[in-house]
Amino acid sequence: MPPAGIWIDGLIQSCIYMTMAFGMVLVFSILGILNWAHGQFYMLGALIVYYTITAAGIPFPLSILITGIIIAGLGILVKKIIIDHIEGDLYVGVATISLIFFFEGGASVLFGIEDKGLSIVLPGVLTLGPISLSYQKLAVIIFTLMVMTAMYFVLNRTKVGLAIKATAQQPDAASLYGISVERLSLIVMGIGCALAAMAGGIMAPVYPISPFMGGIPMIMSLLAIVIGGIGSLTGAIIGGIILGFLNSVIAYYLSYLSEVVLFLLVIFILLVRPQGLFGASLK
Amino acid sequence: MKKSYSILTVLLITVMAFGLAGAQTSPSIIKVGISVPLSGPAGPWGTVPIPAYEAWVELFNKDGGFKVGNKTYNFQLVFADDKNSPEGGAAAAKKLIYEDKVNFIAGHWSWNFPSVSAVANQAKVIYLGRTGNEAVPGGVYDPKKQPYTVFANPSLEEFVSDIHAIVEVFPNYKRIGISDSNLGKGIGWDYLDRDLDKAKIRYHHEWYPPGTQDYTPYITRFNEAGCDIIYGGGDVLAAMMIAKQRWEMGFKTWKTGTSGAVLDPMMYINVSGMEASQGLMGQYFGIWDFKKTKVDPKKIQRVKDAMEIVSKKQGKSYTYTGWVGWLPHHLEILAQAMEKAGTVDNPDAIMKVIRGGTFDTTLGKFTMSGAKTYGSPIVFGTPGAMSQIQGTKEVYLSEHPLTHLP
Repeated sequence: MPPAGIWIDGLIQSCIYMTMAFGMVLVFSILGILNWAHGQFYMLGALIVYYTITAAGIPFPLSILITGIIIAGLGILVKKIIIDHIEGDLYVGVATISLIFFFEGGASVLFGIEDKGLSIVLPGVLTLGPISLSYQKLAVIIFTLMVMTAMYFVLNRTKVGLAIKATAQQPDAASLYGISVERLSLIVMGIGCALAAMAGGIMAPVYPISPFMGGIPMIMSLLAIVIGGIGSLTGAIIGGIILGFLNSVIAYYLSYLSEVVLFLLVIFILLVRPQGLFGASLK
Repeated sequence: MKKSYSILTVLLITVMAFGLAGAQTSPSIIKVGISVPLSGPAGPWGTVPIPAYEAWVELFNKDGGFKVGNKTYNFQLVFADDKNSPEGGAAAAKKLIYEDKVNFIAGHWSWNFPSVSAVANQAKVIYLGRTGNEAVPGGVYDPKKQPYTVFANPSLEEFVSDIHAIVEVFPNYKRIGISDSNLGKGIGWDYLDRDLDKAKIRYHHEWYPPGTQDYTPYITRFNEAGCDIIYGGGDVLAAMMIAKQRWEMGFKTWKTGTSGAVLDPMMYINVSGMEASQGLMGQYFGIWDFKKTKVDPKKIQRVKDAMEIVSKKQGKSYTYTGWVGWLPHHLEILAQAMEKAGTVDNPDAIMKVIRGGTFDTTLGKFTMSGAKTYGSPIVFGTPGAMSQIQGTKEVYLSEHPLTHLP
């Protein structure tokens, strides 16, 4: 049995993968596309949080909120300026892949390629007997709980949320009931990108900040989606949790072979249950 | 008429004098190509030393460059982005050799030794690089096919020296944990293990996938193996994260570090935290602090002057010392080899001098190994020196001269 530290580590990983995966699936469920640049919105979120704190002196929680709003706007712009003008899912996919390089290159030029850090935010460690947990990581857990609760209420208790769910299930029927799918897709793109950015923001004190930090979280959230089911929001959450714990536990037992095992597991799931564990049908 | 002749003679002498003076002050240029990562995640390793390289070369040239016969030569640097990838390395080497027409490739450190070496050797361009898994017997390096390669920075051997330097300064250590990405896993590590076994150094290896940010599983394994020092294979991200995460996990007394010089202590402090980064170790080329290796005071001064120039230009103190052990060291070898060989354009004659030759560089005076090591000349006797972060500064920690691997 792995020690407690590994399980705590798994929980932190789970938090971030599920937030990232949730945003990705949300966009997929309405727009029908995988936003390959999702990790770069995560990166931009971390950079904005870094500068709002270090240059403007804005408090950490507020800086995360500001980041969410800014990147939601950027996501909407990307949808309006790029995605709306490209025909076909494949080409849209290629366009979002191009955005990876655009955002990484742009961030490199604007902010430099050296690693930045926010260790000054929430320094210190909470020690409970044999268990040690940094306040920065504790913040990740609290943030994820808040975001997931907020998303639950938005999707189940608000008109917009119900419209999103209705459109995800039956876009044509939703349209007949007067829901503007176009307007909704903009809102969803904004929320999806904001989730990625806020995830990047909350992780900014935990990991080094650089223009290239988005790649791994993007791949891991994609794996979470495959495990949970590509169109399922519940699947994204459960997939994120499974992946986070698996990643830590497998790395503890198998060291560098952990990635091989993880990818084999994903291939196995694709072979046995291509719709993922939660069986949402593919669009 | 006589007066006219006199004026003409004075004019002629003046023109000749100025002409000669002009000839003396316009030395010939030797172009040196530097193929390093200038973009992407490894970019800082390539870009941070550039201002210091340029300042140092300017001072070297100003001090008279070097002489071959009666002719004076100056170095000129040409940089190319190798993107830290094999194909990037080959493309950079081709650009440097065939477009920029460089005479040598030096200062190269990244992982794509085989591709750069292959292109350089095919073009008979002397290439000064580093050792690694590729260089040792069983690696891809073939001395017969690559006679123009010089292992001017024996990185693998330096890593061994680092570990010796660390355990010498912390003799009560329990076990030293050696961490690296599995990309670095290779035959070179067998040589390292053999050397550490011979020296009865207690160690434990952990390999992690490239790009890892969460080191909790590996730190846990190091703890279970009884380690209290973790030293990494040059991955800055890993070094910062291991320092931070081991501290968060409660292993506050552990020493951590990584091969490769400390880029900027503040970067480590900003990422890992002030407390967690205290004592973080890195390779050190602050030659003015060396205790076991003697370096020519003139060379020390030139290095200091170059760093002063960069500090003034950048408006903040330039503290990175890693550059001192790379390009200036390579250029000193090249300049002295050309002087001794009496030629700048005969690579075979220059290589003949380099093999087994004695050189005095920014890393001290030493004799190259000739063809005894892996079939290529390697620098031995230069220091494996370590520093650690204290407060917001990088300070000298210890030193162990480079020795031969088994």
